[in-house]
Amino acid sequence: MSAPADSHLLTRVPSGSADYWRCVDFLVDEAAALDDNRMDDWLAMLHPEIDYRAPIRITRERAAGAGFSEEGYHFFEDLDSLSIRIDRLATDYAWAEDPPSRTRRFVTNFRVFECERAGDLRVHSNLLLYRERLDDPRPLVMSAERRDDLRDLDGGLRLLRRWVLLDHGLLNTANLAVFF
Amino acid sequence: MQPHPTPMAQFLDEFDASLLEGSVPLRVFNDPEILDGELERIFTRAWVFIGHESEIPARGDYVQRRIGRDPFVLVRSDDGEVRVLFDACRHRGAMVCRAERGNAALFRCPYHGWTYKNTGEFAGAPFFRAAYGSELDKSEWGLYAAPHTEILHGFVFASLDPDAPTLEEYLGDMKWYLDLLWGQCKDGWEVIGDPQRFVVEADWKSGADNFCGDDYHTFYLHRSTIEIGVMDGVKRGDSTENLQGYHVQAGNGHAISHFLVPPEVPGPRFWGYPPEVAERFTPDKLGQERYELAKHSIGSVGTVFPNFSFLAFPLRHSRKEGPVSTMVIRCFQPRGPAEMEIWAWVICPKGTPEEYRRKTYRTSMGTFSAGGTFEQDDSEPWIAQARTAGTAYGRKLGMELNYKMGLKGAASATRVDDFAGPGVAFYPVLEDGVHRGFHRRWVQFMREGGYPSAMTPEQQNASAGEARSNGDG
Repeated sequence: MSAPADSHLLTRVPSGSADYWRCVDFLVDEAAALDDNRMDDWLAMLHPEIDYRAPIRITRERAAGAGFSEEGYHFFEDLDSLSIRIDRLATDYAWAEDPPSRTRRFVTNFRVFECERAGDLRVHSNLLLYRERLDDPRPLVMSAERRDDLRDLDGGLRLLRRWVLLDHGLLNTANLAVFF
Repeated sequence: MQPHPTPMAQFLDEFDASLLEGSVPLRVFNDPEILDGELERIFTRAWVFIGHESEIPARGDYVQRRIGRDPFVLVRSDDGEVRVLFDACRHRGAMVCRAERGNAALFRCPYHGWTYKNTGEFAGAPFFRAAYGSELDKSEWGLYAAPHTEILHGFVFASLDPDAPTLEEYLGDMKWYLDLLWGQCKDGWEVIGDPQRFVVEADWKSGADNFCGDDYHTFYLHRSTIEIGVMDGVKRGDSTENLQGYHVQAGNGHAISHFLVPPEVPGPRFWGYPPEVAERFTPDKLGQERYELAKHSIGSVGTVFPNFSFLAFPLRHSRKEGPVSTMVIRCFQPRGPAEMEIWAWVICPKGTPEEYRRKTYRTSMGTFSAGGTFEQDDSEPWIAQARTAGTAYGRKLGMELNYKMGLKGAASATRVDDFAGPGVAFYPVLEDGVHRGFHRRWVQFMREGGYPSAMTPEQQNASAGEARSNGDG
């Protein structure tokens, strides 16, 4: 599957519409679940067929585009592999996140678009992830655009597809032990 | 209290002697003076990994790389040659390559416009005749290139020392193992995607030392992965007892931890590759004996001194399917005292069917990467190690670390002479000799003035007291 299309190729769902607010509520609730370390709640927000990816980004000349790797991904996950990661956190040996980081996800610049499949909604948003570890007072700040597809299932929206388009080439972090 | 820190020469002599007793000074994991020494004495002399040919398949393709902290460009020149060019304009020293990857016939310096062919040769400069007349000999003003560049199975290595031995001599017995891993596929190996790069506030040696064969940490630091089944492809049944793990010191500071499946045990072979990938391996290149060994190999972890490492094991990043082969390579690049940059590549045999290629990539990154279920925990103790290495009290104590495992009196592992490969081999893998050997070579590089002489596996394995061997008690 290729990267989600740029926004100028999509048809906007008006801000302030019912669908717009459903999407905003979903993503804000999702960020709260992750910040609160309610991982089972987060898993329940994912569609069974979720495609979750974060392509590696490299510095390219302007003419070569945004620099997202064609084949390289920091994350290339489905529900199965995401649940393995979450089960790992529940063991007594997940040192990278135990003690857990203190995180705050700031989700902004919501733009909702129509999808190819009627009823699905595409949301582009900006994510600023603030993360503190142990006694290090210097926060780790990571920034990304997220391109999400949301689909109705059992009376609520679920995250069907997420591409995390990081603004980082060389990662400023010793691990990617938290979710975007 | 001493008026001054221990002078470096004396420190190195003491370190060399303490290695015989299985001690490594904590200080080496965070010390600006030591880092300066490493950059000058190790990284401008040793053969270091630069990249893989598959990253630059076409003429003009280039990638930015580092030797130590210094910027280089790995390029396939228009004449087809692979070159490692020092990225510093000969005019004022600005860098001429500004993107991590691309294709270029020319590299242009943004400062005054001095321009170089992708062979490194000087191509021209603005107002050349007006500025320099005919006094300047263009042939003398190309970019500097690494004095030695060699390619082994597509893996490009370079040395910045004109006096360096050949890559083959430098690798010593380690070449036999790199051949075992990467010298038997019909069409060679290739990198999938682009390398992942991440900064860890730890010393580069923490990574290189670990990959020499720290099998001891696997069952504690990485216990989460054992509990959730990631290790099911390695762990057979409830134990690892029927895995035959060997530690090998291969000379010149190189080491490998190699795991075999006994012939009678069914299960993964060729490091876990399924038949449609394993068929890429052939006895035609290195002969039947090496091919049989590959056939019974399930895992390998190793470090080529100083900072190139690899790991191959069948692992799981899915509950729906069995273990998937994972093959990753690493460069642990120094950035500063207590700061390194980890470069992580995933490789597979060329010709791997698309579906398995995607699987091996997903499983490799899902386990061994900054976000991998395995590797995300590694940086935790490495960061903490650099922190304690920088403590005043650690310095005051002259704190020594325990690298004694496998020494006489602290050993269950014994030296064996029936292992299929060259070098000094121990069985099983609970022993620190592979780590001591890395640090012994490190001392040699830091201490010797000329190009460090070759270190045999026996010299690398030296310890105080009687030599350890089978029947040595």
